[in-house]
Amino acid sequence: MEPPELILPGRRGPRSGTPQRPRIGIVKFASCDGCQLTLLDLEDELLTIADRVDLVEFAEATSRRSAGPFDVLFVEGSISTAEQVQEIARLRAVSHRLVTIGACATAGGIQAIRNWFDPDEVRAAVYPEPTYVESLAQARPVADFVAVDGELRGCPISPGQLREFLVALVTGRRPQLPDEAVCLECKRRGVVCVAVAQGIPCLGPVTRTGCGAICPAYGRGCYGCFGPRESANTTSLARWLSDDRSAADVGRLFAGFTAWSVPFRATIDAYGGPPGQVLPARETDDA
Amino acid sequence: MPAAYFLPRNELDRLFGALVADGRRIVGPTIADGAVVYDELNSSAELPYGRTADTAPGSYRLRTTGDRRAFDYGVALTSWKRFTHPSLIPLTRAHRDADRIVVESVLEEPPKLAFVGVRACELAALGIQERAMRAGPAGDPDHAARRDAALIVAVECAMATSTCFCTSMASGPEVDHGADLVLSELDDGFVVRVESDAGVPVVASLGLRAAAPDEVERATAQVAAVREVIGDPVAANGLAARLRTALDHPRWSEVAERCLACANCTLVCPTCFCTSVGVASDLDGADASTERSWDSCFSLGFGRVAGDANFRPKVRDRYRQWLTHKFSTWWDQFGSSGCVGCGRCIAWCPVGIDVREELAAIAPVSAPTGPIPWPPSPPEGRAPAALATITPARHVIATVRSVVPETADSVTLRLATNDEAVLDARPGQFVMVELPAFATPPISISRIRPGGLDLTIRSAGPATAALTGLVAGAQVALRGPLGRGWPIDAAIGRDVVIVAGGIGLAPLRPVIEAILGERPRFGAIRLYLGARTPRDRLFVAEMNALAGRADVEVAEIVDRAGPEWLGQVGIVTQLFDQAGWDGSRATAFVCGPERMMQATAVTLAERGVNPTAIWLTLERNMACGVGTCGHCQLGPFFVCRDGPVFSVAELGTAFGREGL
Ligand SMILES: Cc1cc2nc3c(=O)[nH]c(=O)nc-3n(C[C@H](O)[C@H](O)[C@H](O)COP(=O)(O)OP(=O)(O)OC[C@H]3O[C@@H](n4cnc5c(N)ncnc54)[C@H](O)[C@@H]3O)c2cc1C
Ligand code: SF4
Ligand code: SF4
Ligand code: SF4
Ligand code: FES
Repeated sequence: MEPPELILPGRRGPRSGTPQRPRIGIVKFASCDGCQLTLLDLEDELLTIADRVDLVEFAEATSRRSAGPFDVLFVEGSISTAEQVQEIARLRAVSHRLVTIGACATAGGIQAIRNWFDPDEVRAAVYPEPTYVESLAQARPVADFVAVDGELRGCPISPGQLREFLVALVTGRRPQLPDEAVCLECKRRGVVCVAVAQGIPCLGPVTRTGCGAICPAYGRGCYGCFGPRESANTTSLARWLSDDRSAADVGRLFAGFTAWSVPFRATIDAYGGPPGQVLPARETDDA
Repeated sequence: MPAAYFLPRNELDRLFGALVADGRRIVGPTIADGAVVYDELNSSAELPYGRTADTAPGSYRLRTTGDRRAFDYGVALTSWKRFTHPSLIPLTRAHRDADRIVVESVLEEPPKLAFVGVRACELAALGIQERAMRAGPAGDPDHAARRDAALIVAVECAMATSTCFCTSMASGPEVDHGADLVLSELDDGFVVRVESDAGVPVVASLGLRAAAPDEVERATAQVAAVREVIGDPVAANGLAARLRTALDHPRWSEVAERCLACANCTLVCPTCFCTSVGVASDLDGADASTERSWDSCFSLGFGRVAGDANFRPKVRDRYRQWLTHKFSTWWDQFGSSGCVGCGRCIAWCPVGIDVREELAAIAPVSAPTGPIPWPPSPPEGRAPAALATITPARHVIATVRSVVPETADSVTLRLATNDEAVLDARPGQFVMVELPAFATPPISISRIRPGGLDLTIRSAGPATAALTGLVAGAQVALRGPLGRGWPIDAAIGRDVVIVAGGIGLAPLRPVIEAILGERPRFGAIRLYLGARTPRDRLFVAEMNALAGRADVEVAEIVDRAGPEWLGQVGIVTQLFDQAGWDGSRATAFVCGPERMMQATAVTLAERGVNPTAIWLTLERNMACGVGTCGHCQLGPFFVCRDGPVFSVAELGTAFGREGL
């Protein structure tokens, strides 16, 4: 899964006149709002951003609504219902560039764990009155339905990367969103590798950097919330990890926020599926 | 002055005090999160007393020994490069308002440090990295300043971990040169040797007694025992040559199935020096800055060039770059091995890949040595092109005089500057072109003229799009001229063949102009020009004028014709594969996409042109342009400073080899 192209067209550099303010929208599907709210974390620069871009659709923070067209549409959340399938197709048609944000939109999110189970059983286990729940058999990433021009990964996305993306958008440069492993960030920061020094399983080597290596810095293994990096060799990592733990434990490690991403999903399948083949009750600690 | 002094164990803090009195902060080993790391120390109490480390491929565990020794842990996870070549440093600050730009270097004054606990292998590594960062007159000023500001207190090894192999790499375990002070830890104290002028006052201020002969003997015996324990695990003799001939070994693909391309090995390696440059700016791109951070040849971005092409897409390619660079091409570049046998890359590889094992499999002692892929380098390493006036921090501001539209996606910027170094550029050289807030692309000089130079740029991505969008009066910052130009003198008295594909004509135009300026000194001149479509032809008026001359032959061809095109259609080699001229009398200059240059080199050789007389200019990802970022490597070559112009003979089979 190579990172899609993020360059925006029509920007000819700083001397070709004032660029028009791009029309930006932010919408959400099945998700928690955490990613879009990251925009509000850019407190210091929020006013400048609001001045340089035309935020025409952002239900979380403004009352302005727009049905499009958008120069750039940020999409949060996975696609989980038939209605959402239609809506994302409509939005794609009115968006010049469509950028998915967060683990849900880019990989299906934590809710994609249910993709391994019988949807009726899941519904029965989770909701008291399952008849009212209209959902697809699977929660899937936006890219499974429409073409995606760019991605901001993470659960939630990083404010720094969102800022970089917006600055790149208005200045016309290529956003610097590294596709390399979390390990590089650990080593640059001087964080001691938790896998090698303590035997803690860590998805850092197969996970895309961007979080700043937060988990290893606090002595925990990476959970993979930024999803697979380029050339994610999950096969080798899983083989190494299986030397001193059961197959089920190895599969469980990959079954997190980005479980449904292609390389993680394949590894989970190869190691006997996600935790717990049945979902008897809500209390289980699966995922 | 005695050969050695004795410092009682409980007086180590007096040494620390003397170093502090010398105006230094102390960096040394201490324990953090389950490993020994090098960090700033406030007192000797923070040393890892009574702890050692057990290492194995992919594993590192601290263990309590119960004794009171401070330096029995092997090497720390972090290497000293964290202090001589920090993982992140600010490089430049830039400002743009209206048409003016300012770019200034923001290198910080390095702290005065004392490195306490440097091993023999690490001393060797500091020297190796210093040679790499200082190669040529364009060495990295930040690295030089930091290294010069450090005083080195080495400590002889009294134990080895299972991953140590300094003995094979001739870098230890005995400390023989490069330190200011050398300590040998005995149970009751330290034998102290003074090995530089800078060390003399430090030790003098302590008023130590001379070490007794038995103390010196115990110290010597201790490190001799370490040599025995390690043995000679890597067959280093002839290794560089064996590895060089094993570029197609099936094991590269096999190790790539295990390798995560996570870059840990390169970032913990004390000699790896590769970096990338990041750009930050405010929302208007008016205030921008660049910073440099550690990167690695395991990153996909290292091989990337415009148009989503990548020279090292596969993990196999990246692992091969790592192993061959450390143990083979480093010799070509810097006259030594790039490995000192510290074993960090083995222990800290998350899946336990062991370079000793891979070397034994890929380059076994019994390996039949095949033909070497590129001509051998001089023993002292490759001498970089003269870059006397270039430092990575020196920017020249040039003003756009006019913008000449060339094709739908390319323009020529006519730049004015009175910087003598820039005006002294030779045909084939290039400049790094910085526009605040954008990446800094390398661009060839397409004309050298009094008071300025031309750059012909195709919009291939955001930075080049911004450059092609500039208007008269705008400014850019240049670093250069860089690289080795075309050897025009080598063509004197000979026929000249020039083959260009697309934008590749840009770096060739100064050659054409130089040769025509001294027309009588050359034989026949033949220009073969290819373009994607008739609309993509460059310098059309000039080329038409040349075609009108009796003493120059010009032939053009396009990949795809439009209705208005009456000329030839096809690939550029078709213009001369049937030609009647005698190639043995010709010198050829070639530039275009790499595939086109490969085909051209083959066809020229078939026409009798000697590979030593076929010159071409290569494109690679470049961040520094002066041989310190590592991006542009191709086998033993740094394309930026050994090239970008090379002869086919110099490149050998490095040219066109997949994944190199
Ligand atoms: C010696 C030399 C001389 C050259 N001379 C000329 C010349 O005279 N005229 C000319 O037009 N061109 C020339 N080029 C090519 C020119 O340098 C490239 O076209 C230019 O670097 C493209 O930069 P960009 O930012 O516009 O494009 P981008 O595609 O944005 O590339 C910019 C940088 O980002 C990297 N990159 C590419 N894709 C990605 C991605 N998806 N994610 C992250 N990073 C990426 C690239 O490797 C590059 O380093 C020359 C190149 C070399 C090496
Ligand atoms: S290659 Fe490995 S053993 Fe050699 S110096 Fe680098 S980290 Fe140490
Ligand atoms: S290219 Fe060489 S120096 Fe750079 S990271 Fe790779 S092995 Fe290290
Ligand atoms: S050899 Fe090991 S440390 Fe190096 S990139 Fe491969 S997996 Fe990572
Ligand atoms: S080493 Fe940096 S561009 Fe060549």
